[in-house]
Amino acid sequence: MAMYIKGMGCISPQKTWDDSPLLSQPFLNEGDKLTCYEPDYAKYIEPKVLRRMSRIIKMGVTAGMMALKQAGLDVPNGIITGTAYGCLDDTGIFLNKMIENSEQALNPTPFIQSTHNTIGSQIALLLQCQGYNQTYTQGAFSFENALLDARLELTDFPSQSLLVGAVDEITAVSHAILRRFDIYRDDINNLNLFTANQNGTLHGEGAAYFVLSGFRAPTDRVCLEAIKMVYNPTYDDLRDEILSFLNRNGLGADDIDFILVGKSGDKKRDVNTELISTSYFASSSVGVFKHLSGEYPTASAFALWLSAKIMAENHIPDVVVVRNEYRPMKRLLILNSYFGRHHSLILLREC
Amino acid sequence: MEQLMTDLKRQIIEALNLKHLKPEDIGDDQPLFVDGLGLDSIDALELIVLLQQHYNIKLANPQDGPQIFKSVKSIAEFIKANQPA
Repeated sequence: MAMYIKGMGCISPQKTWDDSPLLSQPFLNEGDKLTCYEPDYAKYIEPKVLRRMSRIIKMGVTAGMMALKQAGLDVPNGIITGTAYGCLDDTGIFLNKMIENSEQALNPTPFIQSTHNTIGSQIALLLQCQGYNQTYTQGAFSFENALLDARLELTDFPSQSLLVGAVDEITAVSHAILRRFDIYRDDINNLNLFTANQNGTLHGEGAAYFVLSGFRAPTDRVCLEAIKMVYNPTYDDLRDEILSFLNRNGLGADDIDFILVGKSGDKKRDVNTELISTSYFASSSVGVFKHLSGEYPTASAFALWLSAKIMAENHIPDVVVVRNEYRPMKRLLILNSYFGRHHSLILLREC
Repeated sequence: MEQLMTDLKRQIIEALNLKHLKPEDIGDDQPLFVDGLGLDSIDALELIVLLQQHYNIKLANPQDGPQIFKSVKSIAEFIKANQPA
């Protein structure tokens, strides 16, 4: 069951929401995190509604609105969201207020907005969309589960249009806590993430939404053909899973024109993805993206947005390319890896 | 009373994140809900919390809410009448 991409919206640490050519001027950043380059939200959301939204909600709702606008759709048939950490900032505010006020007189706004499903709900409220609404919170597989659910929905009702996406944010508290795991590098220039040959990566965040339908229109350029998740595999397991995934879709590694690898720049945790992308996809073009988005549990949504843009434009931006074989972009594979543990495969095809 | 109303306006702007407003933009008698500032039911809950946090006043009867939260002046009068000694 192919899912046709009708529209996309993405807010990320790069210029991904304006009309500038794709990643023509990537942002250079020194530090251990990449935060989003955000639009003027008032252009997308009514000020009266905007005042109550936290940053992650603004990012998610706006990315959703951008996708709907591109698809020329007012209201989707359903909304499916993936988020690993949900609305962390509001959760923090709510919990702090509980302590400060001795569990008395708690402000309703951060409480209401502290749940994972706030983003999908806010989009539905704004659009008056009373259709299917689901939020997946399966850690670094949250977005992939959202896609699988969309696929199930569209298998039953192919003519529907679903708004499917993922959002995760960096907050001061989450960054401080995650830093204790010694997973981020200090003061790395993001554009040198893959050349420094060190352990650790950059913390990232982002919001990306897609309008997907099972119905193909003549204007469609890219479709999502298959999704697969592989948890904590050995090298051999991962290789076998990738090859059998391709085989099930009637393909071999040689049929992949471009593979976008979600390695994080962490030399210890990138070993398997690095080896597979060089050994088994020797004739494919290869690209990377986590020096642009940072590492976060739903970075595969940024990868899908980037892949679909690359495929539609048939051009790999210089800042993404590792090896360019200049093959026409017919089949594209995303191989994402979250700290070498959660691996996902997303197969795209030109329509 | 004047000082209390100015403080209230500043606190309402902060609590409800009405960044586009300054205290002097809110009239003493201006309706806060619907036609006036356009506040809604969640804002009403925030105002109840504001009274509790800043003035240590609990709203005993929620039915009185619409009358108390009619305007900044009505809230100030309620505070004056109910503030603990």
